[in-house]
Order: sequence, then structure tokens, then C-alpha cells
Amino acid sequence: MAEVEKILTSRIGTKSSSDIDSAMQNGAYEALIKALTKMTPEQVLNEVKTANLKGRGGAGFPAGIKLSFLPKDKKSIKYLVCNADESEPGTFKDRLLIENDPHRILEGIIIAAYAVNATSGFIYIRGEMASGAKILEKAISQAYERHFLGKNIMGSGLDFDIYLVRGAGAYICGEETALMNSIEGKRGEPRTKPPFPANYGVYGKPSNVNNVETYANIPTIIEKGGSWYSKIGSQDTPGTRLFGLSGHIKKPGIYELKSNVTLRELIYDFGGGILGDKKLKAVIPGGSSVPVLKADEINVTMDIQGLKKVGSMPGSGGVIVLNETVCIVKALLNLITFYERESCGQCTPCREGTHFLRLLIENIEKGEGVEGDCEKILSICKNIMGRTICPLGDAAVMPVESFIKKFRDEFEFHIKEKRCLPETFKMTTIFSE
Amino acid sequence: MALVWIDGKEIVVEKNETLLQAALREGIYIPYYCYHPSLSIVGQCRMCLVKIEGMPKLMTACNTYVPELPKEKKIDGKYDMKVYTRTEEVKEARRGILEFLLLNHPLDCPICDQAGECQLQIYSYEYGNARSDFRFEKLHFPKRVELGEHIVYDAERCIKCTRCIRFCNEITKTQELTLIDRGANTYVDTFEGKKLNNPYSVCTVDICPVGALTFKEFRFKERVWFLQGSNSVCPECSRNCAIRVDTYKGEIMRIVPRFNPEVNNYFMCDFGRLLSERIKNKELRNSPAIKENGAFKVKSEKEFYTTLLSKITRKYNSNEVSVILSGRMTNEEIEAYKVFSLIVFGEVVGEFLYVTGDEDKILIKKEKRANYFGAKTLKMKFTKENEDVTHLIKNKKLVVIIRENVFKGKKEEDIKKNAPSLETVVTFDTFFTETAQLSDFYVPLAGWFEMEGTVINFNGQLQKISKCITPPKGRKPFYDVVSTVLTILKDMDTSDFKSEKTKEIESIKKVLEEFKNREVMNKGFYPWFKEVKNAIPEIKNLSLKDLTSFGIFLKESGNG
Repeated sequence: MAEVEKILTSRIGTKSSSDIDSAMQNGAYEALIKALTKMTPEQVLNEVKTANLKGRGGAGFPAGIKLSFLPKDKKSIKYLVCNADESEPGTFKDRLLIENDPHRILEGIIIAAYAVNATSGFIYIRGEMASGAKILEKAISQAYERHFLGKNIMGSGLDFDIYLVRGAGAYICGEETALMNSIEGKRGEPRTKPPFPANYGVYGKPSNVNNVETYANIPTIIEKGGSWYSKIGSQDTPGTRLFGLSGHIKKPGIYELKSNVTLRELIYDFGGGILGDKKLKAVIPGGSSVPVLKADEINVTMDIQGLKKVGSMPGSGGVIVLNETVCIVKALLNLITFYERESCGQCTPCREGTHFLRLLIENIEKGEGVEGDCEKILSICKNIMGRTICPLGDAAVMPVESFIKKFRDEFEFHIKEKRCLPETFKMTTIFSE
Repeated sequence: MALVWIDGKEIVVEKNETLLQAALREGIYIPYYCYHPSLSIVGQCRMCLVKIEGMPKLMTACNTYVPELPKEKKIDGKYDMKVYTRTEEVKEARRGILEFLLLNHPLDCPICDQAGECQLQIYSYEYGNARSDFRFEKLHFPKRVELGEHIVYDAERCIKCTRCIRFCNEITKTQELTLIDRGANTYVDTFEGKKLNNPYSVCTVDICPVGALTFKEFRFKERVWFLQGSNSVCPECSRNCAIRVDTYKGEIMRIVPRFNPEVNNYFMCDFGRLLSERIKNKELRNSPAIKENGAFKVKSEKEFYTTLLSKITRKYNSNEVSVILSGRMTNEEIEAYKVFSLIVFGEVVGEFLYVTGDEDKILIKKEKRANYFGAKTLKMKFTKENEDVTHLIKNKKLVVIIRENVFKGKKEEDIKKNAPSLETVVTFDTFFTETAQLSDFYVPLAGWFEMEGTVINFNGQLQKISKCITPPKGRKPFYDVVSTVLTILKDMDTSDFKSEKTKEIESIKKVLEEFKNREVMNKGFYPWFKEVKNAIPEIKNLSLKDLTSFGIFLKESGNG
């Protein structure tokens, strides 16, 4: 079992951890004070770059480099945006941080603001996270009271405000440009790039969007140094990650682990094995949008390189375990229905393609599939993949393509026999509709 | 400025220009739906996908800008980008997009007004699949939705390119439209409580690439491939929007804006477009007529003009005469009027009505007569702004009115009361208006869409209008009327004019003599266009060939 290092969850579990007093007793805002009093903005930014902190939203883009895309001047308006619109199926890590340690997130955002001279920040929180929003709201007002937010923070000359924006529950608003549109009160539709957010973001001003977990890593990086951080765990995704275990697993929950933990360790050592001691059938290793893995593909590390070997990606860290009772066709139908509903409808391939895919998969599931349907599904996938404005199209296609390719026999069985595999129970689903 | 290799051709792409714009400019066609030159770029339809060397994915040409590469990084030593628009991958992508667009699109082309000019049809034919694998029920959406007074929307036909939405957001800035719902259920609707009734609403129909938005007045009127289009300009204000008049068997079916970057770009206002509806069912007469005992009697051309000329030529002092002219006259008609006036009154008399109204910052101009600036350029006199016409006819004995309905809503008694001295009223107009009905002599003229001519807009752009429909023989442009008058006068015994002043007869003879060898004696537009050229130094050497469909800019005319 890999050694457990707690960076993100160190305060979680302590008494009233979301309150500023108890959080500060456990070290909250110490990194901010260090940055403001002992470091220049350039030094702060360099530490983040040295740490090689990768974005935790799913794409894994280096956060320090992304921050440095913002214009360097001190006068122009710049916005930092914290993406708390966590809605990827199988992913619930940000919620844990928001509800239990909001000050770690705020501290990370304020440090980043100092590093790039940002004027204001937005936390865009998913509409359904009502209690999370309340907790964050309280945390923000406490941070104002302690002068960690507002004008001339801690006498450093930094003016920075944070606004909490509640979404309305659209998955697409987790895409950074759709999120920015939503903040502006517009339809949650991704924008075409260019222009990129670093030049033209919220209200047309240079903006930087990062995930909750990404920001939550920054205080520790400042506290212990970028090079210390960069040596933890895997080289391509340093630091620890919050893995969310769900599905047919004995001990579901959030696990903070180094990213070089293997998927097998995650499932069997930390998760306690498969529910009902059944056979493992498949694992979705990084939220619903990444390609699925078969039971014999779990001896890989949970970093970019490791998952690449089996054709998948770490994504958002949401690990969904499916045991042998799952009808893979029904599971895929569940997923594609989600993407069909969540497509914003803006661009053609995603709008029409996800609809077509759902109809075909639904038909197979209902026992009305015909020979050639799998080929048709794959050809539709090809026409969506890489042809859309935002990654939602790709996100919809990756599970579909991988499900069909890896479980082709089961799909063909469905088409031919017009029923599920005998060992699966029709009533079992991974997510309820 | 970047050099781009595209399908073996070299093209230059400017810094602020996208790949699609440059390609289209250079005649390399890349299909597109959501892109429109006057609207913002959204890259939604994904039809313009092309292969760019070095890029892992296909890219949309509509939002690809081409940065200049440093010298050592240039492709093949000189190119900043290499683009392929006809590879198998690109063709496959286009087939894919068209398959998607047709999934839920009803194939009701036989009864769709857009059929024949539908981009979905055109691209499906050119780039699409011959068959569909979609064996499911198509999604159903609202149909026949009246988004506005003139607009009917069919959400099933809609491909969600959002051009109409962007038009209302960016051009008219009235923001009536939005997308409703998400995913495959997306469709366009007005915001609650709003209607698509802005002054340019029908332009959304023009820019709709499919049959989703249709123009109520044109719905189910005629198949577009039977229409005959002629270039003209809109006569409703001094903007002179370039238009195409679509006719079928001599009837105007619709008016659509025609691209003219110097004047109106791609758009026109609904008021101008609806002229085609307003001129329907108006009373028309096809021969000149004289009022005898309260009723109009149709006369032969010769008899009519002989009677008219002997009644009005040199009979009155200039303070007893009022000639009311109209900015609806083309330059040629104005030049012809000058000759007419010289003969009949011995000098150029008459005033143009200066009619103004509302204007906006988009297209609609204040001057409500198309050729207001043409008349100005030709140095004609004007009344005061929106001056009441009773002023003009007070104490007059003869009133001649050309192309204006000055007695609109007036009765004979009113006119008598204002001008008890009035002896003769002569009206030249297309329609048998109230004014025509109250006059003693009425000459029907060819309408705006029934004649050739040139006009000058507020900015000094000279454009040509053309004979979109052929009027009956008896209705002529005013310049043809003058040509006829000249011909008749030539054969007339000038003593018919019953003028004792021999000096004046001599002067008429002189005018006639001057014009005897001029081409204007022959009827038609071209000789009078020459007269216009002689009158405007700037276009002295202009040949009609040089007059492109955009017209020509005159520095000295217009507001500058």
C-alpha cells in the first residue's frame, strides 16, 4: 500500500473545519501571509510553476503556465475564476473540499491573485450544492473580516474581492468558457477559441479558470516550496489527488493519494474490493468522460502515463467501479443519455450526434438493434470526435467508443439475442436516472 | 499579412481576416452555414472544417486566423500555413455534419419556400450522403410560429446556426430572439413578451440558410426557380438600398436586398421591402386622359399632347405657375423635365418637395425621396422641409405635378378655397392618385420598377435602376413623355399656342432646333442618360459599362 500523504485533506475531520478560527489553528492562511510578506508575485508564480501543479478539473493543464498567460501589467483588470461546478458523473471531490475546508480554496485563490495581480475572483458553484454555497459564503465573509479579502490585504497593497456565483445545474457550465458566459448571465454555451480566456474572459477581461482542487494545492506549494511538491508522487502529476471511489465498491468515498497509486491498489486495498465479492467487470478511471477499462487493465498507475498505457486518462479522479452484474449496454445508455441531455445544442456534431448515439444505443438495449449498429455508432463517434467547439463532444464519445470497442461481444449479443448477458441483472444501474 | 497554401493555390490572408474570408475572397469555396460576413463569428455549424498541416484535428476555417511565422519556421520556405479543403478526411467531415443536420430536418422540400435557394439542399447535393441511416422518428418542434408580423418560424427546419439571433443582437440591437432548451431539443424563439417586429425583421429571413424563417407575404406564393430577378434600388428613402426585384409573369413577388458594400451591405428595412405589397391593388390607368365635364376621357397620344401643349405653353406668367416636382424622379427624368420646362415656360421652373421623416443609425435615412440628392446634384430648387402644399398653389393659375400625390386626402372644394384662381391642374404619376383624380390632365407614368434610370443616394452613390417589369405602352417614364412632346412639337404649327408674343414662339423654335439633332428625340433611357452625364461634370466620361452593380461614387454629390 502506497504511503498516504495528506495535503488537501489535512484539516478535514478536525472539529468545525470550515470555520476560520479552527482552520487557522490548523495552519490556514499561513501560506498567504508568507506569500504576501516574504515573497514577490513573481516568486509566488515561479513556485507554482516549479511545483508543476497540474489542473485537477480533468484536462490536466499545468496551472502555473496557465496563470502566466494573463497579461503581466499591473493596471489592467484581471479575473480569477474558481470552477466549482463539479458535475462530472462519478466525481465528488470538490464538494468535500468546499463543505469541509473552504478556507484552503480561498487561500489558494488569494495567493494566485497576488501572483498575477488579479483584481477580482469568481467562485462559480454548481446550483445543486446549496449547502456548499452557504458554507463558502460564510467563509468568504469571515475572510473579509480577517482582512484576507478586500482592499490592501494585510497591508500588502493587494486589492482583491471574491464573488460567489451559483450556477443552475448545467454540466456544460463546467466548461470554462460556458462558465464565463453563465457568470455574465448568458446562456451556458462554450465560446469559440480564439480568443482565449487569458485575453478575453469574463466580461471580456483577461481571466484564468482553475478547478477547486487545483487552487487548494497552492497554499501547500507556497508553504513547503515548489520543488518539494514536484517530487511527490508521479512526475507527470505531482502532488496528491483526491480520488472518488463509487459504484460497486465496498468502501466508496474520497481518498487522498499520490497519483502513482495503481488502480488495483485503489480498488482492492483502499476501496476494500468489489461489492458483493463479485467479479470486476469494468472501471471508469477518471469521471464518466474518459475511456472505460476492462478488469485486466487495472495494474496501472493513476497518472497520465500510466492510464495512457491502457488508452485512458486520469480526468477528474472519479473512479466508477462496475461489477459483473452490470449490463454494459445499459450502463452506456445511462452515460450517453446524460451527454445528450447536457449538450448545449450550440454546435452540430454534439447536438445531433449525441441524440443519434442515444437512439442507437437505446435501441440495442431495448432489443431492437440491427446488425451494423456498432459500426454506425463508431462512425458517428468519428464524426463527433475533435469536431466540436468544446470538449463535451469528445467527452461523450470517449466512453461510447471505448465501451463498444472493449465490450463489442456484449453489444453484439444484445443485437443478436435481444437480451442482456445472462450473468447481468437488468435492474442494476450505476447511476439512477 | 500571411501567405497561405490552399489546395495548391497561394493566397494572402490579412491580419484581421479569417481563413474562410480569405478563401472566399480568392474564389476558393468552403461551405458554411453560421458564418455571415456582417455578423460575429461563432463557429457553430462546423461545416467549414478544413485540414491544416500540423494540426491534429480538423479546424473550422471561419475562426482560424493566420499568424505570420518567423522566416526559419515557414512551411516549404515561404508559407505561413498549408490548408487542404478537399481531402478525404475533410469530405468525410462534411458528410458527417450534413448527416447530423438532416437527422431531425423534415424533408418537406416540395412545400418549403426555401427550396431552390436552400443551403441545406445545395450542400446535401454537393457534399452530402445519398442515403440516411436514421431509422428513428424525427424530433418534433413548434411549426408555423409567428415570431413577428412578417415572420413565420418552423423549428423543425431550423439548423440552429443562430444567424437570426446574432442579427437581432448585433445589427438592430433589439435582442428579440434566443435559443430555447438544450441539446437536440434546441430551437429559436422570442423572449417572453417580445415579438420579432423590429424595422429590419425580414432580413432574418434573408440570412436564414434554410426554410426555418419565412417571409409571410411571400409564403407559398411561387417556387423561387420560376422567379426572374432584376437589379434595382429601393425608392423609399435617400439610402437607395440595392435590391433585387423578383418577378413572375410581370408581377412583383418579392423584394430582397442585394449586396452593396457602399450602400446597404446585405440588408434593407422592412418598410422598403414591403413596397411590393403596398403597390398591389393600386389604381392604374394606361393612357393619358383629359377631364371633360367632370369625367376623364382617354385621348390618343397626339390629340392629348396637342391639346395640353396649346393650353399651357407660354400662357401664364411665371408667378401664375407652380410646378411641383418629386425626388422620385430619376436623374434622366429631371434632365428631361428641364427641357420640358424650357419649352413650356421658357425657363426651368418648379420646386422639388423636400419630404423628410424618421431616420435611424442603421439604414433608414431622413429624406424620403430616393433621388433627393440627384435633384440637388442637378441643381434643382426645393421647398422648405415638409412644407404644406397649399402655400405652393396659392394664387396660381396653372399647377403641374410630377410624381407627387400632393392632394392626398383633399377634396376639390378645399383646393378651390385655397386657390380660387386655379384654372388648370396637370398631373404626371404612376398611380391614379387623389391628385390625379382632381386634375384636368392626367398622364400615367411608368413606375419605379418599370423603367431604366439612375439615382444618387445621400452619400453620392450613383446607381442604376432597371425595368424589372414592362409597363403597358401607355405608361412611360417621364423622359419618354418629353421625347414624345418634342416629336409632336416638331410637327405642330406653333401658332396653335395662341400666343401673341412672337418672341416666345421664336424661343420655342430655338429649343426645338437645339434638340433636333440630339438623340433625345428618339425615346429611351440612353440618350437621356447622356444628358445627365453632360449635366454632371464628374461623370462626363462614364460609360454604362463602368457602372457596376454597386454603382459609382460621386464626390460632389450627397452629404459626403
